[in-house]
Amino acid sequence: MTDGDRLTRPLTREPGKKLGEDGGPGVPDIRKPDGGNELLRRMKKVDPDQAKKYRQRSGQ
Amino acid sequence: MVEGHGAKEQVDDAMALVRSYPDECHLGWDYRSESPRADLRGFRLDHLAQDPEDAKFDAGRVYQDALEIRSDRVLPNGARFYNDHGHPEYATPECWSIFELANHDCAGQIAVLRAARAFEAKIESAVRIYKNNTDFHGASYGTHEGYLVPRDIGFERLFAGLLPMMLVRQVLAGAGCVGSPQGRFNGFQLSQRADFMVEPANAETLYRRPIFNTRDEPHAEPRQWTRLHVICGDANMIPTATARKVGLMKLAIALCEAGQSPIWRVKDPVRAFQAISRDESYEFRVELEGRSWTTAREIFESYFSACERFVELDDEMRWVIDSSRRLLDSLHSDFGQFRREVDWAAKRTILAEFVESEAMKWDDPRLPSYDLEYHNVDPEEGLHAALVEMGEVDPDPEPAELLAYLEGVNEPTRAFARSLAVSRFKPFLKGASWRTLSFNVGESPIEIDLDPDAEYPPQLAEANDVETFITQLRGIR
Repeated sequence: MTDGDRLTRPLTREPGKKLGEDGGPGVPDIRKPDGGNELLRRMKKVDPDQAKKYRQRSGQ
Repeated sequence: MVEGHGAKEQVDDAMALVRSYPDECHLGWDYRSESPRADLRGFRLDHLAQDPEDAKFDAGRVYQDALEIRSDRVLPNGARFYNDHGHPEYATPECWSIFELANHDCAGQIAVLRAARAFEAKIESAVRIYKNNTDFHGASYGTHEGYLVPRDIGFERLFAGLLPMMLVRQVLAGAGCVGSPQGRFNGFQLSQRADFMVEPANAETLYRRPIFNTRDEPHAEPRQWTRLHVICGDANMIPTATARKVGLMKLAIALCEAGQSPIWRVKDPVRAFQAISRDESYEFRVELEGRSWTTAREIFESYFSACERFVELDDEMRWVIDSSRRLLDSLHSDFGQFRREVDWAAKRTILAEFVESEAMKWDDPRLPSYDLEYHNVDPEEGLHAALVEMGEVDPDPEPAELLAYLEGVNEPTRAFARSLAVSRFKPFLKGASWRTLSFNVGESPIEIDLDPDAEYPPQLAEANDVETFITQLRGIR
């Protein structure tokens, strides 16, 4: 199997074309999850500075 | 993370946490067959690079021997739990089934959490366990996948056959990451590891990390086997994402073995990995040599169609292909379904909602804390666990089922032998590693080499004494 066996396209997108118009997909519709009570409760408890305090060594 | 501690205390904290593991286990590990500096390309590195920032923490400090630092525990399921460069690391027992592996991965969260709770009680400070791959300050730590691969495939074929899959796999198995600890990027990206990849292939793991790691540490007879050491993937919270991540790599390896890998000449693999990770259009274009391009979807499909043509697919491999195709279809048509099975999408959805409700921007310095909390393995605190509780993502196995995974293994792999050695014959167990078991029996120690490809029969569990167990192990081929 070689590159020639499959679909490839010119590198440069045609001017004026938007996402999804040249065979590529468009931006998906992202909707919120339902019933967010438990999630909301936990998010309210998150320390907004937690990531600032969180330090690790570089691992493998 | 220990409340009030930082990177300087990390090694001591990780050692103490592992040593706090409260349940039955064997102490120690046999390091003799480990060779982290051997390279698949046929040479050996003089030394492995260390992150210069980390080196500053340890300046002037002399550590004890490896056994002391690593504080290894071998669990009754054949898993290894230890301190790896300053964080607790859980290595599952060897599995043949990707779903068994995903369950063992989940069970590992419980094992680490149990150690954390015991450690917390000793030091009277809060201890939190985050199963992720970045600290948002420039440090990264990998999720290691190990695949038993016949050595005669060779580096060139493996690299060419696996690299395209390594690039695109993040679309279905990335854990998601707010921003970039390595550069100016204020959006949300698919992969936690992408920004830490700097070369297509090398043997380094701590610094100058590669997409394709060439470490040659087979943990088995080296003339016959090598272990493919994959470090470019993320830690998944959704168990089916873990199974799919590993299954996709299994498909690519099967094609390598069959000599039927799709050929993609990616122009700049590192740039492609990072471009896919940051592509918020979800088009996932990949630049090829010869001024052309393709998409992640087409790369995936080239593997799936080749597997259907050239590989004898079992039910699990069939599931990997079918479920991946279904998800790739749903990415743009049914994101609500996609996010149930893909970590980055689940995380992005809850963060997007938060950004909107709080009128924040994606570069808000508070957002990484919420990203981090998705990975908190405490079922009472973690945001992923909240989604599980709400039925918004694929469920975890039941806790009772996971506890059973800490007690033993269901498959006849060599981990079954290690599991029995720990649970039944611990007083005689001198050393354990992935490859070997050694026992103190008689005047001199007895060492058994564990064939990684053999089937270990259930009768092993019926051995009433260590001599019978050893005799039975010696008969396994």
